[in-house]
Amino acid sequence: MPQTNKVQTKEAQTENPSRDRILERIRAGLRTVVPEPAAMRSGQVIFEPIVNPLERFQQECVGNLMECALTADSAASARQLSKVLQSLPEGETFVQDDPALRRLIEQAAPARAIRWSSPSSSEGAPGEASQATVTLAEALIAQTGSILVTAACGGRGASVIAPCHIVYATVVQLVPDLATALSRVSQERKLDSNSFACVISGSSRTADIEKILVQGAHGPRRLVVILQTAT
Amino acid sequence: MKRKISLFVPCFVDQLLPEVAVDTVKVLRRIGCAVEFPEDQTCCGQPALNTGYWGDARPCAEHFVRVFKNADFVVCPSGSCVSVIRMFYPELLAHSSLREDAAALASRTFEFSEFLVKVAAVTQVGATFPHTVTYHASCHGLRELKLRDEPLQLLRQVDGLKLIEMVRSEECCGFGGTFAVKFADISAAMGTSKAESVAATGAEFVTATDPSCLMHLQGILGKRQASTRTIYLASILAQDSLAQKSSAQERP
Amino acid sequence: MSQTAAQRFLHDAAVKSADLMHREIIQRGMDSYDVAHLKGRARIKDWEAAREKCQAIKREAINHLDRYLLQFEEKVIARGGHVFWAANSEEACTYVKNLATRLGVRTVVKSKSMVTEEIQLSPVLEKAGIKVWETDLGEFIVQLREEPPYHIVTPAMHLNRGQIAKLFREKLDPAIDSDDPAYLMAAARRILRQAFFAAEMGISGANFLVADAGVIAISTNEGNGRLCTSIPRIHVVVTGIEKVIPRLEDLAVLWPVLATSGTGQGITTYGTLIGGPRRPGEVDGAEEFHVVLVDNGRSQLLADAEQREVLHCIRCGACLNICPVFRHVGGHTYGTTYPGPIGSVLTPHLNGIQEFKHLSYASSLCGACTSVCPVKIDLAHHLLQNRRNATEAGATKSSERLIFRAWRYAMLRPRMYALGGWLVRKVLRIIYGLGLAGSILDPMRVWNRYRSPVPLPSESFRARWRKDLAAN
Repeated sequence: MPQTNKVQTKEAQTENPSRDRILERIRAGLRTVVPEPAAMRSGQVIFEPIVNPLERFQQECVGNLMECALTADSAASARQLSKVLQSLPEGETFVQDDPALRRLIEQAAPARAIRWSSPSSSEGAPGEASQATVTLAEALIAQTGSILVTAACGGRGASVIAPCHIVYATVVQLVPDLATALSRVSQERKLDSNSFACVISGSSRTADIEKILVQGAHGPRRLVVILQTAT
Repeated sequence: MKRKISLFVPCFVDQLLPEVAVDTVKVLRRIGCAVEFPEDQTCCGQPALNTGYWGDARPCAEHFVRVFKNADFVVCPSGSCVSVIRMFYPELLAHSSLREDAAALASRTFEFSEFLVKVAAVTQVGATFPHTVTYHASCHGLRELKLRDEPLQLLRQVDGLKLIEMVRSEECCGFGGTFAVKFADISAAMGTSKAESVAATGAEFVTATDPSCLMHLQGILGKRQASTRTIYLASILAQDSLAQKSSAQERP
Repeated sequence: MSQTAAQRFLHDAAVKSADLMHREIIQRGMDSYDVAHLKGRARIKDWEAAREKCQAIKREAINHLDRYLLQFEEKVIARGGHVFWAANSEEACTYVKNLATRLGVRTVVKSKSMVTEEIQLSPVLEKAGIKVWETDLGEFIVQLREEPPYHIVTPAMHLNRGQIAKLFREKLDPAIDSDDPAYLMAAARRILRQAFFAAEMGISGANFLVADAGVIAISTNEGNGRLCTSIPRIHVVVTGIEKVIPRLEDLAVLWPVLATSGTGQGITTYGTLIGGPRRPGEVDGAEEFHVVLVDNGRSQLLADAEQREVLHCIRCGACLNICPVFRHVGGHTYGTTYPGPIGSVLTPHLNGIQEFKHLSYASSLCGACTSVCPVKIDLAHHLLQNRRNATEAGATKSSERLIFRAWRYAMLRPRMYALGGWLVRKVLRIIYGLGLAGSILDPMRVWNRYRSPVPLPSESFRARWRKDLAAN
């Protein structure tokens, strides 16, 4: 491993005529000493501590224009999934290939064609025809009403290509805040095992025309979290 | 014990708006201060400083420090000039032999409303002004000196005065010193927006902590033949029930 | 006949600041931003502490820029990505163009990136026969109009829905028959969908380069940034070297603060982290991942002890939004990639003080920019320092230098000052008495063009003091 690393670095350097010059300029610039301003006041609390993560998550979902359906068990989750899929136009559903989702789909038995994610087939990623995608999440973040996904959650496109993204999660996945979520990503080295991660906080939107909010821009118009309270 | 005040009158006030300083003296004396006016004073240096001529601003700032360095308190009817002394002299005079005098002086130099409320702890000065007034938050008082509520505290205590809030009261009026001439079109457009905010309140008067804003605004309002007039904060506070009838009409 | 940048600015500023329709559109947009921004700030318990934290993060990053960039580079390369260091626009553009040509790219989809505007990448690619699609709605609109972004966050905020509907009808589809923003977004989505699936290369910017994780972070609301980095087989990131931050956890404060300052949101819809090409076992993603680190004058700013902090900027646009000058002259008048206060501070450093010093003067120094900057850059102060730098470099007019020399002479001599003031008032009174206000003989004619004349009292304050105030 260190060897390939070295080879690649060398290769990068040969195609990088300005690299050393820029680094030298940076180092020369940094030799100018800039007086440090007064140190930060200590003990400041920037964000309100999260008291009740579930309640906060649900509140934030409303603000983020996303749907959060609390379900008691997997049967209820399956019913919820069927309901959401039935509300959508005809078309295939892309599902992350994971045992939990296999079970959920089996229980829900939707009247839709299912396309399972696969790393080895060109059909293994969601496409233009997908009306919905169903994935898991790495974590849910109460503070911002966000879901954290990585490439392992059905890939990069799974959370953005279709008009509706459905996330199947359980309450144990809730973390209080962004700081906790990000430090967990660091500790678990999620970004070494995934080329991609994303903190998603609501449906896609724009306000580029007259600052008027339009829900559903290039990504999903609907983001649905099926949040199961028991496993 | 009587507080001894050395009045600093900004050059444009001295030359163009003497009433502003006269009224400042009146109010300070009314609350029991002894006021003197060191006659060797000229200008804090802001015009040169803000146009980039620090080499010319520096001797002017040094002159200011020499004139005022023995003062107990310096009070000035302009937040902008005070901010130059407090916020910019340390940098401008960083290598001057008067650096320490300047720093000490800065801590004893106050904008008029700041002095009343924060130093003298007075908000009731016994003024009567039975008119509708809207308040423009002059930038340097607001953002350099952090005076948000002090002028309003004073206005709220004025007998008969009705305060009407304008929209975007903290947006710059567009004066900006030499900016008003170098970029006259932009300055006037900003002034016009401010004049529109003022007009929308229907107030008879607009006041502020900086007579420079008011001079510019009066010019814009005058050109538009608007009925609202400008009046400096101290000129409102100087009005007592006798005075207000005769002189409120003639303010700049 | 070539106009200087300053002449063009003055001309355009005069036109725009008198354009009442422009003023109304911008004022309305900024009013709704103001409301959202204040609401967003209220969601953060201690906004000042958040600003201080962000300032500290960026300061640490910039003060160790070499170390953090190398850390970032090492991680990206280890994942099979490429990192190219570009000293200037030309090197950056050539690298991307050669890469595209070598890999047979015919269509590029771009998500918002101000650095690609700075280096003028799109024209270079188009000259090489490559079709470039801007995919952010606002960017797409200004691309159709063949004009640069008006604002670094909301590129088309100078247009109303009617103008956009008309543009779409003319350029995209004559059947467009509504100016409803949702309808217009849907129309753009349909067209750009085809582009996303056709493109071989996606080009994005980066809001942050996270050193310890070795990933780029992109904030987008529309999801176009996600599609640009998910579907095409090549992903190129073009970004400035100053975007680096030390740790992934820093995003826990930077993301909410960026969103709050940019749009008033609590957090941007998609906070995307990408560290390299698609890994074995992943179902999709670009097979090639290239990061182009652009210097283009930034490293020079490091040596400027006063202004190094300008590199802390996270391009949130808050200083543009609050700036009364921006609100009146609009983004295009600046004639620079980065308009508004940050642009007026930065551009003289990147593109030359001689040509762009006027921008530092085109400010009333009201300080509103400084008061909102989420990383606490003292922008108003830097405008002032730029003015000082311009005069010290001898870049100002000799007539002006002379005036200030004379001014200084008088200010050091109280009698001379008093006499001068008296004389000026006297002369003006004579001129105005003759009805010549505003004429060529009126030294205050520029002032008087838009304002009634200043009052000219017969006595100065100092005269009155002597007469009847001193004795009291």
